[in-house]
Amino acid sequence: MSILNRFLGRLLSSMIVLIGVSMLIFFIARIIPGDPARIALGPRATEEQVTQMRETLNLNEPIIVQYGLFMRDLARGDLGISLYSNRPVITDLAEYLPATLELVLFAGVMMVAFGLPLGALSARYRGQWPDSLIRVITLLTVSAPAFVWAVGLVLVFAYFTPLFPITGRISDAMTIPHVTGFLLIDTLAAGRFDGFLSAIHHLILPAFALSLSGIGQAARLTRANMITTYEQPAIEMAQAYGFSEARIANRFAFKPSLIPSLTIIGLDFAALLGNAFLVEVIFAWPGLSRYGVGVILQKDLNAIVGTVLIISATFLIANIIVDFLVSILNPRIRLSENRS
Amino acid sequence: MTSNARLLAGTTILAVSLSAMSAHAERVLRADEVAVGEIDPAKATDYADTVLAINLYDTLVYPKQGGSGVQPHLATDWTIDGATYTFNLRQDVTFNSGNPLTAADVVYSFERMMAMGQGNSSLFAGVIDSVEASGEYTVVFNLSSPFAPFLSTLIRMPIVDMATVKANEVDGDWASTWMSQNSAGSGQYIVASHDPQTETVLTYEGDYFVEPAASYPETVRFSYGLEPSTVRALMSRGEHDITSQWLPPEVYAGLAKDGATLLTEAGLTGEYFKLNTQRAPLDDVHCRRALAYAFDYATMGQLTQINDETSTGKPMSGAIPAGMVGYDATKAVFAQDMALAQEELAKCAYDPSEYPLDVAFIAETPARERGALMMQAIYSQLGFSVEISRTPWALLTEQVTAPATAPHVVEIAISAASPDTDSLLYAMYHSSQPPTWISSSYFKNEALDALLDQGRVETDAAAREDIYGQANDILASEVPDIFAYELLSPFAVREGVTYHNLADPSRTYPVSGFNMRFADISVTE
Repeated sequence: MSILNRFLGRLLSSMIVLIGVSMLIFFIARIIPGDPARIALGPRATEEQVTQMRETLNLNEPIIVQYGLFMRDLARGDLGISLYSNRPVITDLAEYLPATLELVLFAGVMMVAFGLPLGALSARYRGQWPDSLIRVITLLTVSAPAFVWAVGLVLVFAYFTPLFPITGRISDAMTIPHVTGFLLIDTLAAGRFDGFLSAIHHLILPAFALSLSGIGQAARLTRANMITTYEQPAIEMAQAYGFSEARIANRFAFKPSLIPSLTIIGLDFAALLGNAFLVEVIFAWPGLSRYGVGVILQKDLNAIVGTVLIISATFLIANIIVDFLVSILNPRIRLSENRS
Repeated sequence: MTSNARLLAGTTILAVSLSAMSAHAERVLRADEVAVGEIDPAKATDYADTVLAINLYDTLVYPKQGGSGVQPHLATDWTIDGATYTFNLRQDVTFNSGNPLTAADVVYSFERMMAMGQGNSSLFAGVIDSVEASGEYTVVFNLSSPFAPFLSTLIRMPIVDMATVKANEVDGDWASTWMSQNSAGSGQYIVASHDPQTETVLTYEGDYFVEPAASYPETVRFSYGLEPSTVRALMSRGEHDITSQWLPPEVYAGLAKDGATLLTEAGLTGEYFKLNTQRAPLDDVHCRRALAYAFDYATMGQLTQINDETSTGKPMSGAIPAGMVGYDATKAVFAQDMALAQEELAKCAYDPSEYPLDVAFIAETPARERGALMMQAIYSQLGFSVEISRTPWALLTEQVTAPATAPHVVEIAISAASPDTDSLLYAMYHSSQPPTWISSSYFKNEALDALLDQGRVETDAAAREDIYGQANDILASEVPDIFAYELLSPFAVREGVTYHNLADPSRTYPVSGFNMRFADISVTE
């Protein structure tokens, strides 16, 4: 099977998953208690006004008809108006998704950049004090949720020692033209290196808070896998050949141990999207996770479905990428897929 | 010139330049509220929306500064002839677009609000037959019948620039989408940028018919949904100026210790424990009275205390907050009386041990759990078992749409929409009102209905005072709610910022949200 065929196959199955998700979330959103029209219009609205809005939102139609109308509009790229923001849902998603993706991707990079080396270091010095220290630290990072770290980081690096900004994505004094919505890209595209640095400065604390749990998990997993690999005869043989410890660690122990870690990191990506909510709230990050919770509390049906669909699509894409990376790293998977 | 002289000259020039830059440094005010912020005045409903509306738009009348009722604003004067109100407008007001504000804009603003059917339009639904411009600067409102609270209600009808709005209409949408991103008003500020979930940036427009305060903010960054821990850190860094009213008491106390000034806004808001008068055992007035007498108002008062100087509540003597028509300052405030509670309970037709009470508090406001726990402790002394439920707001709004599914007791703060008592009592207690969280005591009382109807048509001030006084007495006696305390919304203000309208009672506007006129705030550091 060629790479293109495999890609198309995964894309097709992802589309089916997305349709399933759309049906599921469409029906679940309607089970959430509360009349969206009444919530949007407020308690002083007359019954006539509530009825009028219910008609506008097609809420008086049978649910199957509502779903059909939703899919018809979706095919035209129209997700309706958000009752939460009073703007088209598409506008909201286009504005908030890049902010969350930038945060999550930056956190993902931190997860890989810190998690894997820490795991390798821990395995390399297994049983010694660096291993013990790393295990304690990673246990701590795994056991506390991201928002606890977020509050702690604000306290240490923003309250006691004001080293980092705590709200927003870039300095208030800077105006960067909106092109992609990813400020790290838009600032460079605009030739504003100072803006790029400011965006990085604003990203560090929230991304670190978000990634800490993943860093711990990646480190612990990498350590466990590497220790298993260290027990393989191949390592013993490499030692017998007189290879340096660093070379054995990097080449013969780390690379084969990377595959399970990478798979978990792919799954962690979805967790990052979920955990991003409280981090976004604490750092006033104008992202999609914060928006998602806001629309659920407001029972904003159009926005709930739109948000869940876009997060699902992002998750599926991330997993496709991870699958491809794993197959590149592990020839056995690639060969078995080719045979099938 | 010697090198020393050149150095001296250079330093002087640099110092002068820096001081000039400093003199022209932009004055920025940073405040926050809960998400989301809506800038279209026809969709405005909550506190943040009110703050935006009063800074971007003007209304015919405005709540009376330092008093009750309303005062002229865009309207210089008016005449009332039965159900016909004729307003003369100021002739020196222009919109931010440069267009003059005329009677035609008033007519259009009303039509737009009613056609969109959102926001505060319900306050005018069924009240107004027609609005017409009888001259360039004269507008006539023909009401369907005399409606005494009409003048007060007009504080909720901001005037939009008809020409600008019409130019941005798409398919007859009344420019709804455009107006949620841009402003078309005559207010002191215009919208520089707006993200309903994150922040609205406003800039001072100038050339306004009311003078701004000294050192008024030229730019305002109005943020939404900041976490208490974030606000605390921002304030300590001098990066935030005025907090929202929704922080936990400990955070206000901490900010005060750090040097912030704590101010409160009365805003005609009551904190009510709404009793479900349609569910046993609270369909029996004696049971309700027993709960009201047993309620520990003093402890509740302590719970509202932020520090020795500032409290977020003051005792009530009835359903009507201080400053509204019908409020009687001479009446004693409520106090706990367990003997009377037992006496009333003895008259109640229900055995308390057979009727557990479910007391709900809104999950999004965890501080209210303390009130529920206090009730649990006290009412157990009367023989009631109390089950506390932490109910998300969306679920609560669903539950209260029917008495059968609504909890026995729920604690809610309710603000008057206008300075008129009608805007509070009618929505809460008139039997014609749809079942919502405001009316969730489902109280039905013919005498009260008659008084509330009478209050709507009576225009004589003394007679209205009497009518609402009687209504207040009925409510105190029939106990559809426990009137826990009058809510004083707290705000922490950073040193160097003066929030004149709250700091000086003679400058305070009586309605919640109407004090935050940004140009009335001084930012000196």
